[in-house]
Parts: sequence; C-alpha cells; structure tokens
Amino acid sequence: MNLTVLVQALVSGILIGGVYALIGIGLTIIFGVMRVINFAHGELMMVGMYLTYFLFTLLHVDPFVSVLITIPIMFAFGAFLQKTVINRILGSLPQNQILLTIGLGLIMSNTVMLLFTSDYKILTTSYSSSSLHVAGISISQPLAVSFAITVAITGALYWFLMKTDTGQAIRATAQDREAAQLMGINVRRMSILAFGIGASLAGTAGALISPTYYVFPQVGSAFTLKAFVITVLGGMGSVVGATLGGIIVGVVESVGAVTISSDWKDVLVFAIFLVVLLVKPSGLMGKSRM
Amino acid sequence: MFGCNVVLFLMEVDSMRTRPAALIALFCLTVPCLAFPASKVKLGFVNTITGAEAPIGENLSNGVTLAIEDLKKKGIEVDLVKEDDTGKPEKALSAFEKLATRDGVAGVVGPYTSACANAVASRADQYKVPLLVPVAAKEEITQKGYKFVYRLNAPADVYSSVILDTIFALDKPKTIAYVYANTDFGISTVKTAKEYAARVGLKEVADEKYQKGAPDFRSTLSKIKALSPDLVFMVSYEVDAITLMRQSREIGLSPKAFLGAGAGFTTSQFLAQKEISEHVFSSTQWTDDVNWPGAKDFYNRYVAKFHKEPTYHAACAYEAMRIMAETASANGGDREKTRAALRNGSWKGIMGDVKFVDYDKFNNQNRHEMLVQQIQGGKYETVAPAKYATKKPAYPFRWK
Repeated sequence: MNLTVLVQALVSGILIGGVYALIGIGLTIIFGVMRVINFAHGELMMVGMYLTYFLFTLLHVDPFVSVLITIPIMFAFGAFLQKTVINRILGSLPQNQILLTIGLGLIMSNTVMLLFTSDYKILTTSYSSSSLHVAGISISQPLAVSFAITVAITGALYWFLMKTDTGQAIRATAQDREAAQLMGINVRRMSILAFGIGASLAGTAGALISPTYYVFPQVGSAFTLKAFVITVLGGMGSVVGATLGGIIVGVVESVGAVTISSDWKDVLVFAIFLVVLLVKPSGLMGKSRM
Repeated sequence: MFGCNVVLFLMEVDSMRTRPAALIALFCLTVPCLAFPASKVKLGFVNTITGAEAPIGENLSNGVTLAIEDLKKKGIEVDLVKEDDTGKPEKALSAFEKLATRDGVAGVVGPYTSACANAVASRADQYKVPLLVPVAAKEEITQKGYKFVYRLNAPADVYSSVILDTIFALDKPKTIAYVYANTDFGISTVKTAKEYAARVGLKEVADEKYQKGAPDFRSTLSKIKALSPDLVFMVSYEVDAITLMRQSREIGLSPKAFLGAGAGFTTSQFLAQKEISEHVFSSTQWTDDVNWPGAKDFYNRYVAKFHKEPTYHAACAYEAMRIMAETASANGGDREKTRAALRNGSWKGIMGDVKFVDYDKFNNQNRHEMLVQQIQGGKYETVAPAKYATKKPAYPFRWK
C-alpha cells in the first residue's frame, strides 16, 4: 500500500466526514431536545439541495454563499413543521412519532417530484471538479470549502449552546424536559428552536454537498440512513458525538475503500457501528448529552 | 384508400337499388378498407417510472409514447397497461403477474433494468406471455432457454467488446482498471470485459465495485491512479458517471482512455458537463446519426415533442413496442401465435435489422450491432464501427 494513497484517503475521508457530521448534528439536536427520531431528516436535506440548486440556476447565487439564505429559510420551515405538526405528537407513542416523520418525509419527496419531476439536477460550478495539490495529495476545492464552513457552523452552534441563555435552555430541555419546564423554560418554544436548527443544519449539509453531488427527490433516504449511523455511533443527543461520528464514518469509508475494496466500505462502517454498540451501547459520547 | 371505395360505390350504386344482397356485399368490401382502427390489442409495459432509475425510465416511457402514436397512424390501436416497478425486481414480478393474469395482455414490453428484467423473464414461460426486453443487458436473460422471452438490445458482452475492439484498432494498451456499480448490469458487463481482456492479454490492475449513488469515490480513484492503468473501464447508471469523472479530474487520474459502458455515459446530462466529458468513449445501442431507417426522424420528433434528446433507451423501447404491437395485432392478440411470430419474423426500423435468433449460449436474442461514440467538441460522435462512423476517434485522452 502506497503511503500517498493512504494519506489521500485519510484527507478525503475527513473532508467528506465533515459534511456527514453536519447531517448527524441536526438529527442529534432534534432527538436530544424532543426525543423524536426524525425520519424526514434526509428529506430536509433534499429540500436544502433544491433551494441551493434554484438559487444557483435562477439567481446565480454561488452554492456556498447561498448557505446564508438557505439557513434562515430552512430554520423557518423546520420551525413551522414543529409548530404545526410535530408538537402535537410529542407525548405520544414512539411508533406514532416515527410514522409521522416518515410520512412527512414521503410528502416532501413526492411533492418535490410532482413539482420538479424525478430528473436529476446537476449543479455545475466552475470549481465542481477543481482541486489543490499539496505534496502529491489532491484536495478537492469544493469539499475543502464545505469543510471550512462546517467547522465554522459547528463552532458557532457549540458556542450558542454553551454560552447563551437560549442555548442553555435548549440543553436543559434536552437533559430533563419536566425539570426545565418547572424552572420556567418554555419547552415548546425550545422544541421549535431545536427543530428549526436541525432542519437548517440538514439544509446546509445539502447546500454544501450540491456542487459535487446531484439533486433528485429521493436523494434523502441514503443520507437519512447515514445520519442514523452517525448519531447512534456518536451517542444520541450529543453534538460532539455526532461530529466525531461523522468524521469516523467518512474516514472508515475512505480508508476502507483503498485498503480493502470500495465494495466493502459499507460493511466496515456497519461492523464498527456494531462493535461500538456492543461495547458502549449509549454510543461514543452517549453520557455527556449536549 | 377511402377515395377508391367512394368511386367503387358511385359506380355500383345505381345497379344496386334493387339488389340488397349486392349492397351487403359492397358494404363488406368497403368496411375493411375504411376501418379505423383495424385492430385493437392489449399490451403491458413494465418500466421504472419512479425511484432512482426513473430519469432513464422516462426515456423508455417517451419512446413508447411515440411508438403508440405511430402505431395508431398505421391503424393499430394499443390498449397499453403501464406498470411501475420502481427499479425493484419483486415489484417488477408482481406487475408482470398482474398483467398476465388480471389484465390478460397479449404481450409485455420491459422491464428497464437488468435486475427487474431477469426476475420477470423467469416467469414468462410459466404464464405463457411473450416478453420483449427492450434494453436490459444482463446476459443471463436470454441464456436460460426461455421460449417466451425475446431481447431487442445487444447483451452485456457487446458493451465491452465493441469498445475494446475500437481501442485495440488504435493502440495496444497493456493494463486496465475496472470501476463499476454493484448492479446486475455493472457486474455482467465487467465479467464479459474481463473475458475479452484475458483473450487479448490485457492485464487487470484494479477491480473496484461501488454502491450506486455514493458521493465519494476519491480514495478509490486515487488508488487506481497510483497503479497508472492504460485504460479505465466504467459501468455506471445515470449521474454516478458524472461524479466519477469529476473526481477523476480532481484526483488527476489520466489514463490513455476512459471507457464508459452505455447508461450514465450516454446521457445529455453527461454531455453537458463539458469539463469532464470531452473525449470519453462510450458504447451505445443507438445514435441518431446512423443510417438505420427512421433514426434521424425519430430523434427530431422526440426532441420536438419532449424538448429533450433521446438516449438509446428511448429508441430501444420505441422499437420494442412497435414490434410487439404489430406482431400481437397481426395475430389477433393470441399469445402463442405472437410468440411464434416473434420467433420467425424479421423487422427493419430505427434499430436496424431485427431478428430473434439462437447463437452461442443465447436464444431469442437479436444480434444487434452496437456502436461506439466519443464526445468531441461537446457532441456525441459515432466513432465505430467504421461503416457508421461520423468522426475519427481522438486518442489518447488528455484533460482539458
């Protein structure tokens, strides 16, 4: 095994892992605060991808700049879903919640299919296949920018959750909903905020992956599955865990593809997933919620 | 036709006033000539209308829509029952069973993907329903001795042989790397490419299967780059082809030629990616610039109607539906007679000469001649076989 190839795989893995992490963090926040498993997470990402696509093709907004528009729109969309639909089933049985979010996902993907057909939309920017070369290693330009944006957003989110009053209220709600309520925290409002943040993170991940990937109505399902693996691996509800989970999945896929075979990379990811669950059922950072 | 009958009628009407029997005789003579439609036939069409393969499936649907229009002009009214298999073999199978039993169709065209077509083919004999596979490539479909299964397109082995023949006519490459989707189409096409490579002494340096739709191939491609193969052979559906080529460019993978086996490498979306698609070779079942009767006309009408360029899938589906409808209609919708007529008939149309024959391990297989195209100056140009070529192949490959 050539060392350059291995380092290349590691670099690619970390970069793509950053985007995975962003998807995972959104899911984990929603679960942490509301204990609702959001099966429509991939579809939220898909909506973000379509937003980015149309902002680029109709208004010529660069996909990375469009994040500034996508984040508030997706936040509003997520908050709307929470307020009108999900808040109604917060206290009900988990299977009802799961069915509801699956249903929401189906409605989103099929509505998009009705509106824009099932055609693949491909976003072609001047840098879609550009790369920087550093010491024989090629670094994908769009992926490097995505990674930088991911780091910035994750940092800002972490600061928000740790340092601001609202952030602390969200964390309090995640730790103990009833106690938080007794302390005078408006937990319904926190839920709306959490779902809004989750949706905007999913939308941002969609925007960041658009220049190198493609958009179609069913694109979400593959990422929903990935988001679950990342979230459970890192520990349900843990932001740091989801970040770690995302990077681990990215690196394992990438290094697995060069050391064993690209055919086996998913097997490797799930094998590590199982081992972590067996050894530490709560996930890597399972205890330290938020 | 109508005119001749009117004249006939005017000539004879005078003498017929007193002869009702002759009037009835005239009526019987006239009606068949006037009859629109001459015949109605019920057929099934299994296609991937939703799901990940739906964009290519749409080409098949459009091809069939044009075929139905043309058949109507010829006086064949098709009562078409469309079924969506969503790209899943089990759904294709239940769709076929429904068509065979509840709908009672005379024949079925489809399904699109190899996995679905292979599943359905295994039941055609059981239900005794003629099945005409328009575009699925997996070899096995017409290798199991099924009596009711026919295939219009060339199977997987031709995808690889036609393109490697083209390269060997230009150069003597020594090494090859395979990157392909972990699908029935991908696996069977690469299997036949490997057999070909073994015959000509082409050394395999990498064999990389991937999960369809993966977002990141960079590590796999950098591993291949380190092995510096002369040829990179790819089999991909739809947009994986674009992801693969974009990331090849990022990584700086630069073989003497990129070879794409049909599907994702033959779409207008791939063509539109000018930075990465120039000089990529691909094998295809059909192009609009061949001299097969009606090919260019089909292309023009397709573009006018659907505002998109047709892929070879559209042409295959069009021709398969035409052949199935004409045959079933001529045989009054009888399944056994339709099967026999498919077996013994021959056709000429936008896919060239069509005849279902037995050869090597295949049966009821049309020996369709595949083409090789290369993107030159942002256009698909047919570069082989020589008799159909519009341009000379550009070789070796270099990134723009």
